[in-house]
Amino acid sequence: MKKVYCPIKGELSLELYEEIEIYGKIFTGRDAVLPKIATLYQEGRLSEFGIDLAGSVIFHTAVSDAGIGPTSSNKFDIESTIPILSKAGVKLHLGKGALKKDTIDALKENQSYFAITPPTSALFSSKILSQRVVAFSDEGIEALHELEVAGIPAIIAAANGKTVFGYL
Amino acid sequence: MRRLTSDKIIGNVANTLIKASVSFRTDQIKRYEAALEAETNMQAKWVLTNILENAKVGDEQKLPLCDDTGIPHVFLEIGDGVSLPAGFLKAVDQGIAQGLQKLPGRPMAVRGNDVERLTQEAGLYSDPEKLIPAPIQVRRLPGEKVKLTVLMLGGGPEIRGKTMRVFHKHSLEVISNEMISWAKEGATLLGCQPCVLAFGIGRTNVEAASLALEAMKDGDLLEQSNLEQYLTDEVNKSNVGPLGVGGSTTALGTFIKVGPQRASGVRVVSLRVGCCFDPRKATYQWSAQDFDQ
Repeated sequence: MKKVYCPIKGELSLELYEEIEIYGKIFTGRDAVLPKIATLYQEGRLSEFGIDLAGSVIFHTAVSDAGIGPTSSNKFDIESTIPILSKAGVKLHLGKGALKKDTIDALKENQSYFAITPPTSALFSSKILSQRVVAFSDEGIEALHELEVAGIPAIIAAANGKTVFGYL
Repeated sequence: MRRLTSDKIIGNVANTLIKASVSFRTDQIKRYEAALEAETNMQAKWVLTNILENAKVGDEQKLPLCDDTGIPHVFLEIGDGVSLPAGFLKAVDQGIAQGLQKLPGRPMAVRGNDVERLTQEAGLYSDPEKLIPAPIQVRRLPGEKVKLTVLMLGGGPEIRGKTMRVFHKHSLEVISNEMISWAKEGATLLGCQPCVLAFGIGRTNVEAASLALEAMKDGDLLEQSNLEQYLTDEVNKSNVGPLGVGGSTTALGTFIKVGPQRASGVRVVSLRVGCCFDPRKATYQWSAQDFDQ
């Protein structure tokens, strides 16, 4: 079990199927906000919104009083942003579901990883220390949030050009 | 005389919704423990262990098992000898709203008129209780009791389910092969495996979907018919495994409800590929005395 502290300093070195626990400050976003963040990066405007993606982790989830839990990362609005956000500095994308080969290749090019976690919201709720909205508050539960977490469990599902979803 | 007030009904319904949302039933826990014992894939074991740990934390701290707390579906079974008080269904609706408020449910009700609700352009309500339940299902019971079951249906399984006709050629094999084919496809794409399959087979699309919900209401993961076990075993040959990491636990179980059938070469089959927390359900029972006027 490797502990990953966020934001991540330097390069991550993880293996397919490796179990990890995530600590520190991570971002959350999903269908509504991730395309907006990707566009901000492409326009060079992330700093205007106080967003620094270097060494970051993005958990594909909404944030509500009901808790957090992974949404399917292979939905168009999410998966299409993974290559761009990896280039922007995101080192670990956390969600669920199989990704396309192009996405897995893009992760490798940017030394970024994809991890999955079961939708164990009760467990996650017990590991959230604090939360705040970073940007796009009008998106409500889908706004870009920053969470401080203590030990979110995950398993590496795409690393170094390979994926655990080889059967698809 | 124990006269049941609206306040009591509301409280009973709210607590039933919360129970369905935060805890596993004994059959779920035992089925998961058996799957964990039988599983040889280490990553699959890790996922199953996390799901069991989640159920423990959810039950202890009354936290939702999943942040997609689901759309409430209410099933009422009303005894022939019971006379319900005026305003009973209104109290049930209020109980659902109170349960969503207390849980709390994820605030995901969509605002606006028909078009705005479709496009989501008017945004969401921030209040969990704005999520109105699906139309209530009603069945008859003999005797003098009223059973209320609240089922919370998450969104992922709705992407993987379908209701469609099967040309059965008067053969169970033809029907079951079609069911397996749908189930394998849905289970592979689901994301939150292990799945629990719920099938209804009826004469119309509406009836079949309603029977699938009834199958979930009655289903027990430790009591599987031969056909149910056969479907589970076939889906488990896919090696998709929990969360898609591989292993022998792709499906935990199957619930099938076969309704009356039409004299025809067609059967209408409805499938819901439930997620790893399905069916999130709890039941409350009132007796006739509770309703005495």
